[in-house]
Amino acid sequence: MAAAIETKKLTKSYKSRIHGRVNVVENLDLHVEEGEIFGFLGPNGAGKTTTIKMLLSIIYPTSGEGYVLGKEIGDMDVHKIISYVPERPYYYEYMTGLELLRFYGSLFGITDQAKFESLLTKVNLHRDMSKTISQYSKGMQQRIGLAQSLLNDPKLLFLDEPTGGLDPIAHREIRDLILSFRDEGRTVFISSHELSEVELICDRVAIINRGRIEQQGKLTELLRGGRVEITVRGVQPELLHGMKLRDTNVRNLPVGYLLDMPEEEDINAVVDGVRAHRGEIVSIVPRKKRLEDLFVETVTSQPAGSAPLEGPIGV
Amino acid sequence: MRSIISIATTTVGEAIRRKVLLIILLVGILFLVVAPGLGVLSARSETTVLRGMMLGIIQLTSAVIAIVLTVYMIPNEIERRTIYTILSKPVQRWQFLLGKYLGAVLALGLMMLLMTAVLVFTFWLQQDRQVSGIADLIAAPLMYFVQMSLLAAVAIFFSTFVAPLVNFFLTGGMYLLGSLFNPFFQTLQESQGTPPVAKLFAQFVNTILPNFANYNIQNPIINPGQQIQNPQAYYMQATIYGVFYIGTLLVLGILIFDRREV
Amino acid sequence: MIRKPSTLLLAIGAICFLGQAALQRGVIFDKWKKDYSPGRGQMVAGGLSPDQMLFALTGFREMVAGILWVRADSFFDTGNYDAILPIIRLVTILDPKQIDVYATGMWHIGYNFTDEEQRSDRRYIPSALALGKEGARQNPNTYEMFFETGWMWYHKIDDDYGQAVKWFNEAQKREDMLVARKNLLSNAYERNGQVPEGIETLYTLYESAAETAEADKQAFGNKQNKETLENKLDTAIVRMIQRGFIAEKEGRPLVGYDVYPPFDVNFSAKVTVIDPRVLKVEGSYGVLPVGTRIRIVLKDVDFPNSVPAGMEWDSSNDVNLDPPKKSTFMQDQLFIRNRKFNRKIDMSKDPTMYPFTGQDYLVEFYYNPRSAPPHIQDKFGFNGEGFTDKNFLNTEVREGQRVLYTTLKLTRDQILRRGEWKDKVPVVKTSNFVETGRNYFGDDSLTIDLPSLRN
Repeated sequence: MAAAIETKKLTKSYKSRIHGRVNVVENLDLHVEEGEIFGFLGPNGAGKTTTIKMLLSIIYPTSGEGYVLGKEIGDMDVHKIISYVPERPYYYEYMTGLELLRFYGSLFGITDQAKFESLLTKVNLHRDMSKTISQYSKGMQQRIGLAQSLLNDPKLLFLDEPTGGLDPIAHREIRDLILSFRDEGRTVFISSHELSEVELICDRVAIINRGRIEQQGKLTELLRGGRVEITVRGVQPELLHGMKLRDTNVRNLPVGYLLDMPEEEDINAVVDGVRAHRGEIVSIVPRKKRLEDLFVETVTSQPAGSAPLEGPIGV
Repeated sequence: MRSIISIATTTVGEAIRRKVLLIILLVGILFLVVAPGLGVLSARSETTVLRGMMLGIIQLTSAVIAIVLTVYMIPNEIERRTIYTILSKPVQRWQFLLGKYLGAVLALGLMMLLMTAVLVFTFWLQQDRQVSGIADLIAAPLMYFVQMSLLAAVAIFFSTFVAPLVNFFLTGGMYLLGSLFNPFFQTLQESQGTPPVAKLFAQFVNTILPNFANYNIQNPIINPGQQIQNPQAYYMQATIYGVFYIGTLLVLGILIFDRREV
Repeated sequence: MIRKPSTLLLAIGAICFLGQAALQRGVIFDKWKKDYSPGRGQMVAGGLSPDQMLFALTGFREMVAGILWVRADSFFDTGNYDAILPIIRLVTILDPKQIDVYATGMWHIGYNFTDEEQRSDRRYIPSALALGKEGARQNPNTYEMFFETGWMWYHKIDDDYGQAVKWFNEAQKREDMLVARKNLLSNAYERNGQVPEGIETLYTLYESAAETAEADKQAFGNKQNKETLENKLDTAIVRMIQRGFIAEKEGRPLVGYDVYPPFDVNFSAKVTVIDPRVLKVEGSYGVLPVGTRIRIVLKDVDFPNSVPAGMEWDSSNDVNLDPPKKSTFMQDQLFIRNRKFNRKIDMSKDPTMYPFTGQDYLVEFYYNPRSAPPHIQDKFGFNGEGFTDKNFLNTEVREGQRVLYTTLKLTRDQILRRGEWKDKVPVVKTSNFVETGRNYFGDDSLTIDLPSLRN
């Protein structure tokens, strides 16, 4: 499948008064397939927004290459078929919802009133189209953002923190919308902190930390390595040790023992073994690897003494 | 072209909603309205004083509006990040800059039109509802409009690389300098004691500075009786000069803005 | 990556820049200077033109100028003359079209700075003239400033009458000149020795006055004007003939005319410093009829821009409110009565006007028959043809004119009565001065007793 986004050693550095030249994004090799929902994760200051700004040619890379929908970044033709929903509403607050769509539409040469209204309906803002942006709630502002992003029927959407600060119902609405984008064949690039959301909807993710990509790939592959916790009673610890279970922790509990083992282990064999020695299975609880675990793991495994990054705000 | 017009229209909409600009405009109009009353304080002919004062009010108010309008325009867009959404669309930076400038000039023009209307009305009343001489009077605000468009271009140019507060003083200073340099240069030229090097240097400065003084054509209007040959030709030349200088500033602004990290 | 700037953009920028430069240098600045400049083409002493003040930009200048001038009025009333000077300068800069201020300013500077004995401080005259010239330059379409400047030459300076002619001529060219004032040009011509031109002027004025009177017989002023001019013309022509002017021009001998032979006025003078800074000036002058005033000038030997019996009145193009304060210049008149003069000149009460900082001083005596009253000119002629003095006739200090001129020297110590002159009375006199208690010319029966208002 063709790449919607491809970067090769994309780097952005700034001059810092204290640290000299600082790489805010370093040697980024990003790969996003067409038609997928891609999650771009990282802690604050990791370089997420900088990467998006470079891809949108709002700022210029120091070195490296980047391609969006097969064209080099900055190509204006590509801007006709991509769109961007910013993290906060960076819109003219005095405009009404309808006026906003009209304005952005005019930048594409779109003047179809019916189209504006249908988009507003799609994001459930039809009743509020005459209110000004300043009067919109956070959720409404996100939704108008999504509406303006659909004006040009984009093949690729950049969503920066699409569900940030929203209530659970709004979360769900946005999530469903994003899934519908994929169904429509669009590629969605999401930059987010909301790991649970990303885990639910993304196909592939990349984790960026201190300007470098630490992990990148399919979620299912990255989240391999879950564990299972089996609580047993009425068996001797020697038996458990004798089972030769790999990578298994045995913990004493008031009720008995807890076996914490990788999910790949043959659970049935363990259950049979315990039952054969007249032991009791109290509970079997699978603990899948969460994205959060992966994230924390990736982000905290830094060499000791690394200096904190200093880049412009919003990095 | 379409993007430029859209951005310009949006800029006008923003400008007329900026309270500080509306207040300045209101103060200017208030002064215009009370001006006829102030004229009696002076020993001079009332008409002369009135003309001088009203034209002066229009000029000063327009200059303040032009500066306040334009020094914040682009930095605001960057600070509020509204520029991100726009630049993510198929809009080139030069189109954005040009659109903002045209919008500013349009907004300025509307405000000046309002003040000029008050001027014309006051004169019409003062002259016992006669219209003679009003056409000559209007030449000044028209020239001021070109002058303020040039001023706006200066501010926009500076705003591509300096902070608004610094820009305020830079542009204001440039306005003062550009207004005072013509008479100063004339003084140097006519004075015997000036060394040739100074004269040459002054000539150089007069060639590269934006000469706002070129548009201060109010003297013969305030003190009629002077015979001026073919003023329309001069107005045309000054306007073309303005267009050229604005073009220069916008090109420079685009060159800088294209490289700027937002 | 950042794209390289497009060539088209750079070309547009270059064209625009060059275009504005060409326009500014080529046409705009010169036209602006000619038609729209506020006209502050001079620098005031010591610095840049105050046009650099902010409110010069705003068009409020006329209003501020007006208010300031009204303030100045109150200073006139209280006699606070020194305060008015800066206001005059300021107002004329702010509002150069306010002619009133120029005219009043000129008068003020030229006439009102006086000492205790009503002698003018002539060091200010160049500034007054400069103000007049500036006023004329700023207001070229009206006659007023040309007239005022001319009048200053004619009446106050009373010398170099060619200047008065020049300025009155300029005033005549302006359409709004008051008819009644136009005669002065003919007077100025006469003073300048240009009698035919003076008469020509009167003819022209007379014709136009006759026309006007004919057109509107009811207006009394027109009739009066015509009659005045008629009288003047008659008088001028008669005088011209009687004084042998025509004869001289036609090369006929002046025999039979009053101007021949020239009358020797036999001038002599003695200056005594009776007290520090107080002079007693006495001497003889042989003209019996009343009406002669001899100019006496006391000034530094190195007075800047000095000219015999005066100074370069027209030396300044700048209005300088700070004339040479360290220099001394005293000018006064000596009235002749009974063929002698005796005058006390007291400079002790005005040390600012007469600082006496220099070492050496010149006392000058000067008389030009061109400024003589008509009954004396009947003898001396328009150009002094009937005038002479065997010792002190001078044809060089005023080009082409026959004048009386001589000098005496005094030192600072003498004038201030210091050093060796503390007890010794300084006396200087002309070589032909004869000490006598009697009437010098010896003929007491010709004494005319006239009450005098002055010593």
